[in-house]
Amino acid sequence: MVTLRICGVDCYYESIKVLENVSFSINGGEFVGLLGPNGSGKTTLLRTISRVLKPKAGTVYLNNADIYKMKSREVARNIAVAPQDAIMIDFDLTVLDAVLMGRHPYMGRFKMENERDLAIARRAMELTNTWHLAEKRINELSSGERQRVMIARALAQEPKVLLLDEPTVHLDINNQLEIMDILKKLCMKEGLAILAVFHDFNLAARYCDYLILLNKGKIVSVGKVEEVLTSENIKEVFQVDVFVKRHPITGTLHVIPISPMKEKTSVNNRRFHVHIICGGGTGAQLMKTLFEEGFIVTTGVLHLLDTDHEMATLLGITTVSEAPFSPITEENHKENLKIISKANAIIVTSMPIGYGNLLNLKAALAAVESGIPTFIIEDTPIAQRDFTNGEAQKLLSELKKKGAISVRSQNEVLHLLNRLRAKICTEVLSYEQIR
Amino acid sequence: MRSCQKSTTETRYLKRIAKWFSTIFILLFSSFTSIALSSMIGPMPISVDKCFGIILRRIPILGGLINCNWTPQEEIVITQLRLPRALSTVLVGVALSIAGVVFQGIFRNPMADPYVLGVASGAGFGASLAIVFGISLPSISLIYTIPIMASVCALLTVFLVYTIARTSYGIPILRLLLAGIAVSSFFSSAISILLVIAGEEAHAVFSWLFGGFPIVGWEFIYVTAPIILFCSVTVYAYSRDLNIMLLGEEQAQQLGVDVEIVKRNLIILASIMTAAAVSVSGIIGFVGLIVPHMMRLIVGSDHRILIPSSALAGATLLTLCDIVARIMLRPIILPTGMVTAMLGAPFFTYLLAKSGRLKLRGS
Repeated sequence: MVTLRICGVDCYYESIKVLENVSFSINGGEFVGLLGPNGSGKTTLLRTISRVLKPKAGTVYLNNADIYKMKSREVARNIAVAPQDAIMIDFDLTVLDAVLMGRHPYMGRFKMENERDLAIARRAMELTNTWHLAEKRINELSSGERQRVMIARALAQEPKVLLLDEPTVHLDINNQLEIMDILKKLCMKEGLAILAVFHDFNLAARYCDYLILLNKGKIVSVGKVEEVLTSENIKEVFQVDVFVKRHPITGTLHVIPISPMKEKTSVNNRRFHVHIICGGGTGAQLMKTLFEEGFIVTTGVLHLLDTDHEMATLLGITTVSEAPFSPITEENHKENLKIISKANAIIVTSMPIGYGNLLNLKAALAAVESGIPTFIIEDTPIAQRDFTNGEAQKLLSELKKKGAISVRSQNEVLHLLNRLRAKICTEVLSYEQIR
Repeated sequence: MRSCQKSTTETRYLKRIAKWFSTIFILLFSSFTSIALSSMIGPMPISVDKCFGIILRRIPILGGLINCNWTPQEEIVITQLRLPRALSTVLVGVALSIAGVVFQGIFRNPMADPYVLGVASGAGFGASLAIVFGISLPSISLIYTIPIMASVCALLTVFLVYTIARTSYGIPILRLLLAGIAVSSFFSSAISILLVIAGEEAHAVFSWLFGGFPIVGWEFIYVTAPIILFCSVTVYAYSRDLNIMLLGEEQAQQLGVDVEIVKRNLIILASIMTAAAVSVSGIIGFVGLIVPHMMRLIVGSDHRILIPSSALAGATLLTLCDIVARIMLRPIILPTGMVTAMLGAPFFTYLLAKSGRLKLRGS
């Protein structure tokens, strides 16, 4: 079984340090993903391991032999690379010619490819679903086809270690999964060690055994998928808020980005407070949108286990929570009213209303009565979601009578809120200026 | 269905070698024909049988079987004038074409030619110096001074370009190309200055710069043939590396090619070949640039066939051009370099139009 050890590697382009003290090791049968933002040194690391860029300090060992002291051919027989994009070649070469180049490290100076080389090339091409392209010229291929040809060429080298630079970037979803499945199989059955650069966290999480997270040329985290793929790590390296959840169907970790942290939201904007009355998943999307738009968002009363409640928890939004399937208690209702009294606007989503959450509508009524702008989203007719024998319907029409504004969609509400926010913010400003 | 497809794709691939052999055979035949033609044609026409007779008679054992039906004068014309001239056109054609293939391959640039690293201007400068100032090396006659000066200056120029382009991490192709342009232009202006002050010698410099074979004797061939043949075979040993380097240097390294070493060796070999060619013929353009492209259109980009077929095609083309140069404006003998482009360009245009396959990078 092969072992690849990267020991304290420092790499420079001219005088710019690209990798700093990078150390880790991979064994045969392991599928390792390399993650990191653009310019974090991922491709440089692959170049160092494939003997293209000699590190200034440290080195790479293949089964305890320093690859920089081995012959190029010897290294190429053990370590193969499928590059990110194959350069377009103007000189006409067929796909088969290109894949047979993978046999170069096995061939003598004046030798020609024999039947064995052809058989190996064919197997590699059949695995990557490129055999039917064999006699086409390589510059006639689509980028996805070319990418598969490059993987075939790497496999034709019969390597022990396979390095892949974004192996699926140009592929459609079908080909992505197919190629990844093939690679995983090679890894498990033939003991191939695979190190692949990914930009897609979910693909990496699904196929890799271990992950390496690089940032600014240094390893931030290395280990099992769940140790590396944490929202803290991703926020530190990519400056993006994400949720990391285990997917209920695939059982693998799933990374859901919220959005890049917006610095543009000014302090004034953050002063605008919106309270959302929702439930049954009708408010989750709105919460996220408003949160990203830079509003202060609160919500309540929500039942535990409700999708809206989960979203509020993920976003870290202040919520008044109630036990599942229980009517809202007087205590929580009061708490909700307290939050509402501080809000600049209230939104009532088109949630289903039963006796359990009827009190929420009463809370909205209280808000309208105290003059807080209130919006009712009515994308589903109330008749379809009223489970209180008309009580909810009555309350809703009373709300409207007292000045709540009925809107048809979330977009409309967002538009109105932005206008309201702009108005209030300028008022606050001018007031402060006068003073 | 599957097995049927297997047999076609794979056997077609393996059969390609047979096709290569027939290509080589045809080209070999045409270059021998052109040598024969070159020996026959001239102010004193000599028939085919006499030509072959004179040549074959020199071969031991076999020579005894041939009757002498030619005059001693004819024998001298063939052996001392035409044959060395024909063989030198072959040698120069081989050298320039292979050097062209090599430079186009490692530069991955279809505009590269054997003179891309400044060989032409360096050699031209050396030759001009020798002609204009009548420099003669001690104990060497003036006839040999010019080629020696030319080839030495050519190699020094390449060495200069190479040294300028070199960095701590290898020789980047772009730097090499730019250094070549810089040094070339410098020596070109130096040649122009020499031409201005040359006076009566300017004509001699001009005809040397255009390239031709005015005074080649066997001694030129004895010296350059081993060099050019050795370099050709060694370059051929790198033909698969050249194929792979078409993919780019990084990928070539990952496929087990020692890019920097291969590049260095090929640059040295191609430069030596070019310098050897220049010492025989002066600067002959077009052959080294266009013959590789012609052959790419005909045999494809695989250097294992491209190198030998370019060599033979270059030899044939240059020999034919030399015949034309000798007879076109009789009794004036034109510099051969003037004819190469005139004949080669229309032929190349024809191939280009016919195939529509050659794509010039970045143009």
